[in-house]
Amino acid sequence: MKKRLIYTCLVIGASLFAGCTKNFDAINTDPNQTTAALMNPNFLMAQAQIQFSNTGYDQLLYQSMWSQSLACTYSYYSNGDKYVYGGSFQDYKSRTWNTSYGAATLVYEMKNLVKGNASYSNLDNCGSILLVMMLERITDAYGDIPYSQALQAKAGISTPVFDTQQSIYTSMLSTLATATAALDASKSGPTSDLFYGGDVSKWKKLGYSLMLRVAMRLTKVDPTTAQKYAEMAYNGGTMSSAADNASVRADNSNGNPNSDANALNVTDDFREVRWSNTLMSYMQSTSDPRISAVGEIAAGTGKAANQTKAAGITTASLQVGMPNGYDLNGGATDISHAPGYPGTSPADPSVANDAAAPDGKYSRPRYLVYDDYNRLNVILTYGETELLLAEAATRGWATGVAATHYANALTADMTELAKLNATPVAVVAASDIATYVAAHPLVSGSELQQINMEYFVETSTNFNFNETWANWRRSGYPVLTPVKYTGQFTDGSIPIRMEYPVTLPSTNGANYSAAVKRLSGGDLFTSKIWWDSK
Amino acid sequence: MKYFKHLLGVRNKYWLYRSILIMKLTLILIVIFNLQSVANVYSQQKVTINLKSADFKEVISAIQKQTTYHFVFSERKIPSKRNVDINVQNEDVTAVLTRLLANSDFTYTLLGNNLIVITSKNEVVNDAVIRGKVVDEKGAPLPGVSIKIKGSNLGTTTDSNGGFSINVPEKATLVFSFLGYETQEVAVGGKTFVTVALVPSSRGLNEVVVTALGIKKDEKKLGYSVTTVNGDLLDKAKESNVAMSLEGRVAGLSINGTNGGPGSSARILLRGVTSFTAGPPLFVINGVPMDNTQRGESGEWGGADYGDGISNINPDDIESMTVLKGQSASALYGSRAANGVILITTKSGKKNSGFGVEFNTNYQVDKAVDNTDFQQVYGQGIHGAKPANASDALASGSLAWGAKLDGSSVMGLDGLMHPYSLPSKNYIGFYRTGGTFTNTASFTGGNENGAFRLSLSDLNNNSIIPNSGLDRKTFNFNGSQAITSKLDVNVVANYIVDVEKNRASLSDGPGNPNNVQFIAPNEDYRILAPGYDASGKETSFTDDIYVTNPYFAADKFSSTTHRQRLISALSAKYNFTNWIYLQGRVGYDDINDARVDITPTGTAYASGNGGMTQTNSQISELNTDVLLGAKHDLIKNWVNLDLSLGGNIRKKDFEGTQISGNNFIIPYFYSLTNLPSRSSRPLGVNDGAGPLQTNSAYYTADFAIKNFLVLSTTGRYDIYSTLPSSNRGIFSPSVSGSFIFSDLYHIDGLDFGKIRVSYAQTSGDAGGTFRDAVYYSVDNSINGVNSGGFSSQLPNLFLKPFTLTEAEVGTELKFFGDRLGFDVSYFARKTHNEVINGSIDWSTGYTNQYLGSGSTQNRGIEVEIHGTPVRTSDFSWTPSFNFTYVSNKILQTDGKTNANIGFGTYRPLNANLALVVGMAGPQVMANDYVRNASGQIVYDSSGLPEQGPLKAMGSTVPKIYGGLNDDFHYKNFNLAFLVDYRFGNKVLSATNYYSIYRGENKMTLAGRETGVVGPGVTDSGAPNTVNVDAQTYYQALAQRISGLNVLDGSFIKLRQVTFGYTIPKTVLTSTPFSAISISLVARNLWTIMKHTDNIDPESGFSPDIRYAGIEGTSLPSTRTYGFNLNFKFKN
Repeated sequence: MKKRLIYTCLVIGASLFAGCTKNFDAINTDPNQTTAALMNPNFLMAQAQIQFSNTGYDQLLYQSMWSQSLACTYSYYSNGDKYVYGGSFQDYKSRTWNTSYGAATLVYEMKNLVKGNASYSNLDNCGSILLVMMLERITDAYGDIPYSQALQAKAGISTPVFDTQQSIYTSMLSTLATATAALDASKSGPTSDLFYGGDVSKWKKLGYSLMLRVAMRLTKVDPTTAQKYAEMAYNGGTMSSAADNASVRADNSNGNPNSDANALNVTDDFREVRWSNTLMSYMQSTSDPRISAVGEIAAGTGKAANQTKAAGITTASLQVGMPNGYDLNGGATDISHAPGYPGTSPADPSVANDAAAPDGKYSRPRYLVYDDYNRLNVILTYGETELLLAEAATRGWATGVAATHYANALTADMTELAKLNATPVAVVAASDIATYVAAHPLVSGSELQQINMEYFVETSTNFNFNETWANWRRSGYPVLTPVKYTGQFTDGSIPIRMEYPVTLPSTNGANYSAAVKRLSGGDLFTSKIWWDSK
Repeated sequence: MKYFKHLLGVRNKYWLYRSILIMKLTLILIVIFNLQSVANVYSQQKVTINLKSADFKEVISAIQKQTTYHFVFSERKIPSKRNVDINVQNEDVTAVLTRLLANSDFTYTLLGNNLIVITSKNEVVNDAVIRGKVVDEKGAPLPGVSIKIKGSNLGTTTDSNGGFSINVPEKATLVFSFLGYETQEVAVGGKTFVTVALVPSSRGLNEVVVTALGIKKDEKKLGYSVTTVNGDLLDKAKESNVAMSLEGRVAGLSINGTNGGPGSSARILLRGVTSFTAGPPLFVINGVPMDNTQRGESGEWGGADYGDGISNINPDDIESMTVLKGQSASALYGSRAANGVILITTKSGKKNSGFGVEFNTNYQVDKAVDNTDFQQVYGQGIHGAKPANASDALASGSLAWGAKLDGSSVMGLDGLMHPYSLPSKNYIGFYRTGGTFTNTASFTGGNENGAFRLSLSDLNNNSIIPNSGLDRKTFNFNGSQAITSKLDVNVVANYIVDVEKNRASLSDGPGNPNNVQFIAPNEDYRILAPGYDASGKETSFTDDIYVTNPYFAADKFSSTTHRQRLISALSAKYNFTNWIYLQGRVGYDDINDARVDITPTGTAYASGNGGMTQTNSQISELNTDVLLGAKHDLIKNWVNLDLSLGGNIRKKDFEGTQISGNNFIIPYFYSLTNLPSRSSRPLGVNDGAGPLQTNSAYYTADFAIKNFLVLSTTGRYDIYSTLPSSNRGIFSPSVSGSFIFSDLYHIDGLDFGKIRVSYAQTSGDAGGTFRDAVYYSVDNSINGVNSGGFSSQLPNLFLKPFTLTEAEVGTELKFFGDRLGFDVSYFARKTHNEVINGSIDWSTGYTNQYLGSGSTQNRGIEVEIHGTPVRTSDFSWTPSFNFTYVSNKILQTDGKTNANIGFGTYRPLNANLALVVGMAGPQVMANDYVRNASGQIVYDSSGLPEQGPLKAMGSTVPKIYGGLNDDFHYKNFNLAFLVDYRFGNKVLSATNYYSIYRGENKMTLAGRETGVVGPGVTDSGAPNTVNVDAQTYYQALAQRISGLNVLDGSFIKLRQVTFGYTIPKTVLTSTPFSAISISLVARNLWTIMKHTDNIDPESGFSPDIRYAGIEGTSLPSTRTYGFNLNFKFKN
């Protein structure tokens, strides 16, 4: 009897264990996420677009000040302003790399999900254009990067080789040619598209405009290829109005606030980030009507006034750009020693504990425009495209009439600032635009200078500093004077390259070393990338 | 006697060698004899013996083996000097004895219960019956006490009323022994009834210990090392996390707390860094695994420590904690065993004890300790200048690069003038005196069929951080009842309500009140109060708004955690016979957490009016198991089998939601309803582990040969839901043996000697859930457009648990009635196929991938020495010492590049921890100077030292650690102290970095006014002659040469002192109390030795192995003083 009971228990026990593993697959399935079979690949495009466009500190800490669009006395920005190690330097210098590859992997996966499915051909080709856009930003910053083997960890490639920038450019141009030509407006477009709401014809214009930009990067090293693709792009049809701009509006209420606004709303940043003197002086020298749209000084005086976010004084003549290379440390490089220092904004005696604001009289990016959590992130514009066409035409290539393109660009650039905010703030009066355009025709002999200085102003005022910095290196405009400061991580020159992420030696050591060997001077801020090498 | 004299007289240089040889030969002979007699087992009272030149004991021993007779004789009196030849075939025992004792001075008497007494011829032995009762220290009956007639192995045990009756020779002495009590001897001396009160002991020769699955085993027979810590060592000087009380008490166990305030987590490592993830051991409470999930911790970017699962347990309810160190000990827990197992047994009632009431009250105060030794010469300012105005004072709020402190008047950041001299109180004054008041009432009762214990406990704590504290209420019930004579039912329920208010953020600055440590030397911390201005906006005290004002952080930031937890177990045990039982058990650990974190209106770094996050989560773990146990002699009195078979189903679940939002519509009104919009999400795979299920089946079989040789083997098969279906099961075997050589061969002075050997293979968790498939998520829409994504963590379809093999040898020796004892173990363990989450570069499309390729090795020695050098009737001194040496080595990481595995870092970010192949983990990777061939430091053209590459600078986990306990008893007084120590570990100190960067470190005094010319050379080899301003020099030094922040973490500390007094019972006769004891307690009294100038070497902000040894901006360490009062009421 006892034995029988024991055996019964054992049998019941054993069958319990064996039987219960049947539902193990169900237990180990995430209820909050879905599978490839159910996923809508379109959704990945929107996520990639917002991630790629929302750069924030990625470029504010470096590119914005290397190109002397902005200036800052705060030590956190010393990486950009003074080429001196500042806050989280090691982390942030890998940001352009990580953000762009992170966005690119979404696109790559999207393309994988629709591979071989003809009904998604437009989505697939839009993906190809996006991939080029994203990888171009990385190679323009770092030089040789993983390209042909990039994004393929799922297929087992966890240490991709670094392709030369030259081969990457060759491949990007041919990819753009194929993908853009293959876009078919008669078929359905992307359904989660933050650029164009799925308008395939606009994607086609973007494809050719991007092709133009990629081509024009090669003006120093390979003008022949540059001309070939610039003309191909022009003939294919680049952007024809500001409605074709590639841009993404941030959405604060749903967890995607504008990253620049996130950064600039930090009190320290807000208190000390200013327009650079290089930019502001140039705009004042041309009586640019955009000054009052983009710059302001605090309306009151003292620290309190500088830290309230009330609208400031936008009067153009009162705006003063801050020279790069100064701090608030009281030493020789204290901002008070800067040439033309406008003086502190004195403390307001009626405010308790107020103090003088040393940066208070310098122009800051207008709060209502640039610190807007729903601000538009601008990636590639009709104005930039027109400027590149103007330059190509100036070079004698068959891309239309330079003067027309230039005038188109000026008008578009000034008009478009209003679109930065959902409710227009940076509005430039149409009459002022017309006056300016009329007064600033393209002048023979100074075309490249005029075109590229406008490129500088346009990308700076759109906070598209990746492009400002790249075009400065390519064109040599604006002509910049490097900052001198103790403890610089360069030899005193302005960085012309971003150092590779510090983690690469451990995550992809052999390929990293091979790439560094190809750089004259090694993995430095001062080593020239291929298209900048002449 | 002559023989001994001779031996002593001619002792030559080989005597030791000879003695050993003799012992060895004797041992071999004894074994042979014993094997020989196996063949002769066939009769009961008749014997067959064939021995040559045997001594008397051997003959007696042979008779006992073949018959049911037991012998009583005194060692002193046995006729030992004569050796006899004896050859009898199937002869009566009495005849043999008669022949054996002929012509000797001895005789024998056969008593009623087959007891044969050997005495001198002139002694008369009368048979007597003695009855009696055994009670515990409280007078409650003790059932199951073992009673032996001294000099024999005959005995009995007490019944359920503590009563007994036994036939004895009237001059006999009875030996009473019981688990957890001192063995007591009572001479019969003509008595017919005795009452024996046993006294509790912490250590005994015949202890029964709880082993894996709650199976009780005789400690002396175990083939592996376990250590039991009794609850009375934990419940007087209390820690809010009871795990911390184990520090220094158990060889092999290393514990490091988090300086995160009351109830913070502990990092518990058994036998070194077991694996890359080196998590805490599995905690099993009353046989049921409990959840020990870490509820959130700080990293380099800040955050608070929200405590671990073990921190919920009330020390007053703990009867004992048993540490299963080796893999053989814990192998029955399969994949959860890799980090060792700690078994907690809670207090219970005893049968027939009547009703008892006990009340314990404990009050302890915590005082913050200032570990800093900063320079006191220079004050606030930059580049040698005092602040000229409030704005300067703000910019240099944490900088001590000013002028010499001269007592002049300077403007502070509050706009008022303050003396430029050290304030009357430094930063430590910000911390208040913390206090913990713990009251526990317990009620016990028991009749012949059942027993219970119910305890209610309230812990009320105020942290040293203002406005922060912990309130914990615990209800503990343990009841057992015999339903029939064969069926016992046991219910254990532990209900915990834990409310934690404002756990302080640690490490990085946002919301961290410990930022007060950053204040410049001449600034009085009180000028930072109240932390906000008239408009309610935070007043910053440096130019970095992320360094929150400490008053604002403490008073305005809010974080509340509510936890309700029920740990319950229901078990039923059916005894089929007295040697076979079946037990079924259901254990359920259900945790409900609600947490609200508020970033208040006015926070300097937050935009708008602040925000809040509310997280509700539930963790549950359900364990259902059955166990069939049988214990039976396979060969009567010779080979015993102790077998258990069982199975377990474990179901773990985790779910929850998080709701958050920013920018309150009405300022200062902190409610989810007051947010313009809220985002919510279900908690998922990155927030906690689950759901998962593991089905397991296991066995354990112990073969005991005559109680001196025990061979054990265990096996467990686990099937995991978290693994791919192709690869779900894994088997974990173990085998161990113990040989009690002292039972076979008598060595003078040695009471007990054991050698143990074991080998086991267990496995470690493969990691979390949902790791074997690609998932896509639907993300927040962007301006109405749908978006989606997927994880940057690459899944792996081929995951399996890693395996861990361990071999252990050890010995346990007890001398002179346990006046001196040793326990020594050597272990060697190695992991295979550890799952590592390797970093891969973003250019691959992912940031991490799982690889099953890691391997870690640990080898070490554990030594425990205990003794009682002095024991008189009034006074005793019982010291015990433990020592652990562990050598850890990372053998392989990803198996291809064998790249370092990056671990955590500190906020300055210029150094980090990593696992480095060939070295002990985790190593601090920091920058050294660049030096030329002759070792001189190289400076750049600015005169600043050049930064060398990151290099490994030592492990943050100690190589050597342990403790010394001392216990003194004098009459009713008791004094105990614990000293613990740690050697051979590094600390990566953010405090040190900041002290240099901010000019507070004493090293920054050199060159303050003259500037610094770094001693060394330039790139060209010429001597460096560039004079650099001190601030510029030292700030660059701090940033570039992070190796300066790698400190030696060794220490010796006086960890705990308790001084107790038990009021004599005679005094209590007219009171309602049966016992009162008073203890004065103190913890962390004195750092006897350390090598870190400005920090407590134990300081840390995270329990995670990835952050082991990293320190910075956490709570200061505390000294704790208090008292404990214990009242027991009369029945």
